[in-house]
Order: sequence, then structure tokens, then C-alpha cells
Amino acid sequence: MKKPILFSTLAVIFLMMLLGFSFLAQSAEKPIVIGFIHSMSGAMSMYGISSEAGGQIAVEEINAAGGILGRPLKMITRDDKLNAETGLREAKDLILSENADFLTGTISSAVALAISNYVKREKKIFLVNISQSSSLTEENWHRYIFRIDTNAVPYWGYAPALALAKKWKDKKIVSLGFDYETGKNSLRAFKEKYLELVPDAKIIDELWAPLGTTDFTAYISKIANSGADAFFLSCIYGGGELAFSKQAYAFGLYDKMHAIQPCAGDIETWFSVKKGDPYPKGALATCRYPFWAIKDPRSKQFVEKHNKKVGFLPSYGAMNQYLIMYALKAAIEKVGAVDTEKIINALEGMVLDTFVGKIPIRPYDHQAMMPNWYGVMDFTPEFSFPYITKIDVIGEEGYHTVEQIKKLREGK
Amino acid sequence: MNLVTFEAIAGQTLSGISVGMVLFLIAAGLSIIFGTLKVLNLAHGSIYMLGGFLCYGFTSTFASVPGVFWWTLLAAPMIVGLVGGLIEIFLLRRIYAQEMLYQYILTFGLILIIGETCKFIWGVGYHTVGAPWPFNGKVSLWGLSFPVYNLFLIGCGFAVFIGLVALMRYTGLGRIIRAVTYHREMANALGINVPKVYTGVFMLGCWLGGLAGTLMPPMSVVALGSDMAVIIECFIIVVIGGLGSLPGAFIGAIILGLLTAFGIYIIPKLAVAFAFMLMIVILIIRPWGLMGKPE
Repeated sequence: MKKPILFSTLAVIFLMMLLGFSFLAQSAEKPIVIGFIHSMSGAMSMYGISSEAGGQIAVEEINAAGGILGRPLKMITRDDKLNAETGLREAKDLILSENADFLTGTISSAVALAISNYVKREKKIFLVNISQSSSLTEENWHRYIFRIDTNAVPYWGYAPALALAKKWKDKKIVSLGFDYETGKNSLRAFKEKYLELVPDAKIIDELWAPLGTTDFTAYISKIANSGADAFFLSCIYGGGELAFSKQAYAFGLYDKMHAIQPCAGDIETWFSVKKGDPYPKGALATCRYPFWAIKDPRSKQFVEKHNKKVGFLPSYGAMNQYLIMYALKAAIEKVGAVDTEKIINALEGMVLDTFVGKIPIRPYDHQAMMPNWYGVMDFTPEFSFPYITKIDVIGEEGYHTVEQIKKLREGK
Repeated sequence: MNLVTFEAIAGQTLSGISVGMVLFLIAAGLSIIFGTLKVLNLAHGSIYMLGGFLCYGFTSTFASVPGVFWWTLLAAPMIVGLVGGLIEIFLLRRIYAQEMLYQYILTFGLILIIGETCKFIWGVGYHTVGAPWPFNGKVSLWGLSFPVYNLFLIGCGFAVFIGLVALMRYTGLGRIIRAVTYHREMANALGINVPKVYTGVFMLGCWLGGLAGTLMPPMSVVALGSDMAVIIECFIIVVIGGLGSLPGAFIGAIILGLLTAFGIYIIPKLAVAFAFMLMIVILIIRPWGLMGKPE
């Protein structure tokens, strides 16, 4: 009679200890969850995979050093399939089912806009690592969106304009772009800045191709016969840019006139191109992460870790996602808790200590003033693929000023 | 600024024909499959993309073999044709009796499967293939530098068209295919092995798609997403030309190519819309296409 009572009492005490320990263990190690939504399949998956790698490298480093406020960092990846509805659905799932504290990612500006509208209602922070549409931080800005990345205004517009004004000052330019919002905005930004710097220049013709075009033959023959001094590509990137460059090279276009190809500096497009193959010869190109020209040893380490993880060299998306993780770490540690509103205040005006320099996050639009580099496309023995040489950098002057953004928001 | 010079017009015409021939090469397979099997193969773009990846795969793996591109041109379309055969025998056959909706769902599923398979085997990057000797130079026509390879593609387009028409009109096999196309039950009653013809025609259509996919990389790029980029234009051509009509597809492709080239030349902002506008006009006034037969 006594033994069963003793036994059950011990069992209850043991169970309570077990529960007590697991409860303590849980609350001490409850991870900080960062949702990562990107294009993990299909045409843009290289950027999704690269960005995820950049984020994971940061997560591993941070967790190895003890996490954030003693809590481990956890990044959950979801595929938006380059589709706004899918991306929004994943965002909702991450917040509601996975208890994500923050959302990051996206390459498609359409997905970014959908998620941006969602987090505005949910009052969660969304940090963009690639999506370029300037409207995210300008006309459609709200408190909960941040971008640690350059955007279409400097990258596709102001930086090439500043670069061209410094270098060749071409007077007659013909443009070719993908026919969608970012393409149109890019050309507008380029024209705005370039015509301000070189007033007697003229865009003599504007050509638009459907997004996803890979046969530019008809456009190239028109450009070749246009009588222009230079052509400017407005937001033609990735596979489309590779196809265009091949065709333009085959048509001898690069010998006929100057080329301004923003985005040609991003090496991901040219990995399979070897010396002797068609490439944008002598084109003026902008680049978002020219790691071969970055001296900081932390950058070199990052390049190695990324290459080891996924087998190819890092894209700027990887660098941005890495910086996003560290920015969140700095903000959370400054505030001392995962408190969204306080973290927003901490991020505004914070200066990130990165391996590409000290970068402030501008409070008015939550846009990190990431630099844009530019140079001339060439081959050198250092890499098997072409990349920019004779590099120069454009900083904050590449972005819209606060006054310009104010006007855009009021005019909305 | 429009330079209305002979050079400009000649240049745009040549570009237009080049673009059109490329599209015909891709659309021919789709047209044949629909004509005989009455199946609208949504995965035709994926078949084309698979051909492209095989082209890249072979030419990069065996890069040291002289004339590797030509060997690839022989082998890759055949592999794609075989894949088509497997798809027809094991998958499509089971749903012929069902509604069209199931065909669309199945072929749409194939788009995803083939896409992910390509990504699994060849990764996510963009790939190029160099133009093969002896077609890797430029030639100067009317003041415009034109790549020789594009002229080769125009030649291929004509060759494929003439070859297919000859097959259909002058060979016994062509007669059988036409019989099955015209009246399936009657052909069956006359002892023709209709399922075998179906398989054969589907394989032929996929072989053509694979051929187009193998011919394209030297002037373009091998990338995930190229399947979706071409399928819309293929449908436009097949609708304009007439579903199931090969001459129709040929004419439809040339029209689309020239329309695009001159659209770009004259009103660049509307260039994209021209093809769709023409398709809508044709659907309204002549829904069976330029050279199709009214049902």
C-alpha cells in the first residue's frame, strides 16, 4: 500500500521537475525568428539562393558568438515564386504560424509592395534586400519598411548619369528598357540627372521590350541605325541582359557606339562567359558589390564563406542580407528587447559598420545609403569572366534628396 | 527620330524575318501536336528549354571535341523527342478521353516538373554557348552588321518548313498522319495503329521543340524561365496561322516577326501590343486562323 503512493509521488515530482526545466530551457532559448521570402525557384533563383546564403552566414556567425541577448537567431526561408500573391501568403504564414519577429527579402518589387502593405497593418518590420523600386521607400513609404540595398534611382538612374557625365558626356542617346514600372522609373531618373548635368544632351529614342524578352534582334538593328552616340539599357538584367549582350556583340554594336549598361557590373550574369565570348565590351557599368575591389578583410572572408556554401561568388543580395542581419542585431541589442517600435527608432539614423564602409540609414525614407560603384567592362587575368575595371564610387549623391522625396509623397 | 533610309528598312526587315524564323522553329512542334492530337501542350516551352539546357550541357562537357555543337544538334533533339515519347505513353495517353481541362492541368504540371529538373541538373545560373564554326562571324548587309548565325537560323527555319511539308505531303508516313488528323475513327477502322501514330507525332513535335531549343543558345541565353518567355508567342503564332496548319504557323511566325520589327521601328511604345491586336482581329473575323479550316 505504501509503495504505490511513494512511487506515484516521486513520479509526480519528477514530472514537475522535467516540466520546470523544459519551461526554463524554452524561454531562455526561444529564438528570434527572421522570415526570409525570396525567389528560390525559377528565373531569379540564383539571387534567392545567394541572398539566403548571405543571411545564413550571418546567422551562423551571430549564433556562434552567443546569439542576440542570449537568444539564438533563426532564419526561415520561403519561396515567393516571383509572384505577389504567393509572397504575401508566405509572409502571412511566417508572421501568424511561425511567429516571425521580422520579415526580410524579396527581389520582385511587386512582391515587396504586397508585403509592405501587409506589414503596415501588422506593425512588423520588413527589411528589403534586393527589390529596387524606389516607390517602396518614397511614395509608398511607411514606418515599418526599411531597405538595406541601393534602389532604382541611384543604381539604374543617377549613378550611371553621374558616371556618364564624368566620363564621355555623350550627346545623343537611345534607350532600351524592359517595359514595367522599374524600367520606366529608371529611365526617368537617368534622364532627370543626366540632362541636368549635360543640358545639351538628348534621348533621341526610347525603346521598350516586354519583360522576359530574350530575342532583341529587332531592337538592336533599330539602335544600330539610330545615329546615336551611345545606348542606355534601362533595367535590362540577368538572362535578358546576357542575351542582349551576346546579340549586340554579334551585331558589332559595342564597336559602333558607347554602351551604358547599369547592372553589367553585377558579375552573376557573366559567370559562364569566357575570354573570347561575346560580352559588353567597354561598356560603362554600375555594380552593387565589386568585392574584388573591396580591401576590408571581412569582405574577403564573406566571399570565401559564400563560395563554400553555395559554390559560386556572392551577389550583392547576399551582402545586403548579411548586413540586414547585423543591423537587426545592433538595433535589438541597443533597445535590449525585441520591441518593434523601439527598434524602428533605433534603426533610424543608425550608422552600420560594414565591410564596404560606414553606412547611415536615412531616417526620412529608411533607406540605407549603400554606395554604387561604376567602371568599364573588361577582361583581366584575375577572373575568367568580365567585370568592371577602373572603378569609382558614388555615394549619397546618387539618391533622391529628402526634398525630392517629400514632393513625391505630397504629389501622391 | 526615324531614319527612313533603305538601310534602316532593310535592316528591320531582315531582323523581322530572323525573329520570325526563330519563333517558327519553336512553334512548329506545338502546331503539329495540336493538329493531330488536338492536345494543346502547355509544356512545349519547357521542352524547348530542355533542349537548350541539353545543348549547354553537351557543349560544355565535351568542349574539347571538335564540332561538338553539330554532334549536340544531332543528339539533343533526339533525347528530347524520347522524353516526349515517355510523356505521351505514360501520361498523356491516360487522359485523351477526358476533358481538355485535364490536359491543361497535366501539361502545366509538366512545366513545373521539367523546370525543377533542369534547375536540379544544371543549377540556377545563366549559360551561354558560342556560335559554332563556320557560322561564328559577321557579314555586312546594307550597312548593317549581321551575325552569320542568324542567317543560318533563317536557313534552318526554311529547311524545317520544307522538310515537314514534304514529309506530310509526299511520304507514306505523312499520309498516315494526315489520315489520323482528318478522321481518327476512320483511320482506326482502316487498320492504322492510331495510338502509335499519336506517340510518333508527339515525339516529332517534341523533337522539333528540342531542335529549336538546341539551335537557340548560340544567339541567346540558356536560363530558367525561358520556357514561359516563349510559350505566349508560340500560341499567338499558332492562333494567327491556324491551329494545326504548318504553312499557317510559318506565315504566322513571319507576320509576328515583321510586325514586331516594324512596330519597334514605327511606334516603339505599342510594339508589344501589335501581336496581340492582330491575334484579336483574327479571332474575331476569322477564328480558324489564316490557313486553318473552319470546324
